[in-house]
Amino acid sequence: MVNVEAALLVGAGAFVAFAIVGLYRILQGPTMHDRVVAVNVVGTNTVIAIALVAGAYDNQMFLDIALVYALLNFLLSIAISKFSVEHGGVL
Amino acid sequence: MTPSVLEVVLLVFVLTSALGAALLKDTLAAVMAFAAYSLGISIIWVLLQAPDVGLTEAAVGAGVMTILLLIALANTVRPSEDQLFERVRPRTVLAVGAFVLVMGATVPALPAVGATDSPVGSGEVTDYYLDNAYEETEVHNAVTAVLAAYRGFDTLGEAVVVFVAGVATLTVLRTEAFA
Repeated sequence: MVNVEAALLVGAGAFVAFAIVGLYRILQGPTMHDRVVAVNVVGTNTVIAIALVAGAYDNQMFLDIALVYALLNFLLSIAISKFSVEHGGVL
Repeated sequence: MTPSVLEVVLLVFVLTSALGAALLKDTLAAVMAFAAYSLGISIIWVLLQAPDVGLTEAAVGAGVMTILLLIALANTVRPSEDQLFERVRPRTVLAVGAFVLVMGATVPALPAVGATDSPVGSGEVTDYYLDNAYEETEVHNAVTAVLAAYRGFDTLGEAVVVFVAGVATLTVLRTEAFA
């Protein structure tokens, strides 16, 4: 059982490492569209990492946080996309 | 306590995105780096077994802050970027580095995560709250009792700060309601 827990935590670490790759695109990304997609990728990786941590700690409440993040991630991408397409419109 | 793989990777992610949010020349890109920072720090809260703080971070850090900053950007002028990163003066780097060193020197004095002999876990004040919170305030949740009853004036002050900030925001945006 300890091995499963360690494997889940290492998996979460791997997804955060993927998020670092996405972070490179946020910082470097030549156009704004690269950055919007990169933020979305980072957010999705966050949701997966939190879900894996929830599995490792066997705590159901962490899954609620993952759900809230999945919703907010969507909202975030929509807001930034709308802002960059029609300057001034956010919501 | 040896840091796990996840903790090391998380710290690298959070520090990099924080530096990006501080140094990126284009303000919209800095807002996005800040959103990524907030996403990373939430995983740290979850790892530290503080799901309520993680939820607050999700709602405020990633959701409200980003949209608030975007509204602020929409009402100001965004200069066209000529370079990717802000130029930093060496003097600033020295000052910030010295500050980080001083703050980092206090870290070894903190009790370990989850230590039972820390002041929070074994102090008289904690025992007093846990023993007397329900009789004195008739609030079932001890944390709520401390926030709303024992530290009521403190919470009132925080509420005043939030109210003033909201009024100031409405004044700056020249509207009468958060639409």
